[in-house]
Amino acid sequence: MALLEGRRLSKRFGGVQALTEVDFAVEAGAIVGLIGPNGAGKTTLFNIVAGALPPGEGQVVFDGWPITGKPAFRICRRGIARTFQVTRPFGEMTCLENVAVAIVNRRPDLGRAAWGPMAMEYLEAVGLGALAETAAKHLNVIQKKRLEIARALATEPKLLMLDEVLGGLNTQEIQEAVGFIRDLRDTRGLTVFWIEHVMGAIMQAAEKVIVLDQGRVLMVGTPKAVVADERVISAYLGT
Amino acid sequence: MVKAIDNRWWLAAAVAGFAALPWGLGIYHQHVLIVSLFYVMMTASWNLLAGYTGQVSFGHAAFAGIGAYASGILATKVGLNPWLGVGAGTLAAAVFGFLLGVLCLKMGGIYLSLTTLGFSEILHIIINNEYEITRGTMGLQVPGLIAEYSKLAYFYIFLAGAIITLAVVHRLIHANIGLNFRAVQNDERAAAALGVDVVRVRVLAFTVSSALAGMAGALYGHYLLLITPQIPSLDQQFLVLSMTVIGGLGSFAGPVIGAFGLEILSEYIRAYGEYHVLAFGLVALIVARFAPRGLVGVWKQFMDRRRPAA
Ligand SMILES: Nc1ncnc2c1ncn2[C@@H]1O[C@H](COP(=O)(O)OP(=O)(O)OP(=O)(O)O)[C@@H](O)[C@H]1O
Ligand SMILES: [Mg+2]
Repeated sequence: MALLEGRRLSKRFGGVQALTEVDFAVEAGAIVGLIGPNGAGKTTLFNIVAGALPPGEGQVVFDGWPITGKPAFRICRRGIARTFQVTRPFGEMTCLENVAVAIVNRRPDLGRAAWGPMAMEYLEAVGLGALAETAAKHLNVIQKKRLEIARALATEPKLLMLDEVLGGLNTQEIQEAVGFIRDLRDTRGLTVFWIEHVMGAIMQAAEKVIVLDQGRVLMVGTPKAVVADERVISAYLGT
Repeated sequence: MVKAIDNRWWLAAAVAGFAALPWGLGIYHQHVLIVSLFYVMMTASWNLLAGYTGQVSFGHAAFAGIGAYASGILATKVGLNPWLGVGAGTLAAAVFGFLLGVLCLKMGGIYLSLTTLGFSEILHIIINNEYEITRGTMGLQVPGLIAEYSKLAYFYIFLAGAIITLAVVHRLIHANIGLNFRAVQNDERAAAALGVDVVRVRVLAFTVSSALAGMAGALYGHYLLLITPQIPSLDQQFLVLSMTVIGGLGSFAGPVIGAFGLEILSEYIRAYGEYHVLAFGLVALIVARFAPRGLVGVWKQFMDRRRPAA
């Protein structure tokens, strides 16, 4: 069954048609990749699902609920967490406080004594434990991406939407990250919707890949089928 | 833990020392202290909004005016007890703050600044035109809070008001809502993505901040015994802004330091004409540009340099 479904989503920015009648589905418990050349509309799709942008036409249904046009915080509380491609840390706050924001809005009853250790666990899970008391503005790009993931996980979502979290990592680190994300799915039953330019990672982790090109769905299939497809290859080479 | 208790003792000692201060002073200096404490209430509550949620209200003096006029009018027209009037003035400012907040905070930061500026002006016009009720620029004579006028008694009333204000601010910024305040200030889109109801957080901060200004204004009116449009004036607004910015926006001690520093300073330079608010405004602009955390920030930086991080 689809946990997340988009029906005929269209979005226009002035003269740019960023999405055109996009249909897609993300099955519960799956890792679904979203790929496509630069400017294909991937982040725009995430923004509309997460309520970060007003929708154009079409509908988004999550877990049986129509969430089109709902405010971002409500969508988050329903169970969708997303990371930002261009990271958005709370710069003046410590890493621990960054994660705490996600916890206290889910559990307002928790005081610092309770959320402190919880936030620490999420930070440790992404390898930022040692930087808990560091202001987020001092992190490097890779650490900021990890913080994005820690915060997203701290909302305890059903669906995790990752927007290019592997940029800047070496092969070894990519392997670890892929293992980490698969582990989240396997042990926590998380569903993952994942935008990534690192094809190797998507090939390994995803069961299904959606390819966007110039705002339209070019194809949907297994990773193998997708990389072998001529339309996909020419879309990438064409840009 | 031990350190926290230590700090508490220091704080208690400081407050006790300060509470003993007016006994050694003449009436004029007692007056300066009382006015300073009024500004502590104003700056600390404005800082809650501007320093911790990043929203600049130009209506803080206007809300003080609402508190003052609400209490003053109730006292003169209905004979309400001034103490109850202070409560009513606080409530009136809270209600106006809430309504104004709901009206414009959905649209985002800059609209609050514009709306409160407009609100300030409208209030000014109403006060000047409704002469029958407000006595316009002549001022509204109101009863005092205590039967026998005593600067010393007012000093302790204002000290209590300042402590209440600071306690409310302290509680809020150290509670979970304080995390939300700062998250909204740092990046509202990220905050919303993590489940923060940004509009609600802003309206709450604005309502509390406005209510505290209302309380400060109501107390001030019953101290001056004459409420004039000077209380809700933009002059007053920019003085409060300058005090907070120069003292240290977004820090707990900054507004207190700014309020005392600038109030005492303005007593000295008042002799040179009424341009001191303008001068403070210019200094505040320079501070905002080169030391956005004000005097407190400069001090912290200085201490950090002396003790290089391990
Ligand atoms: N907020 C916005 N305002 C105006 N135009 C936008 C906005 N967001 C995206 N666009 C435009 O919409 C198109 C799709 O952008 P989008 O960011 O969704 O692409 P993407 O697939 O995520 O690309 P990349 O791989 O580079 O991240 C681009 O032409 C982009 O310039
Ligand atoms: Mg993108």
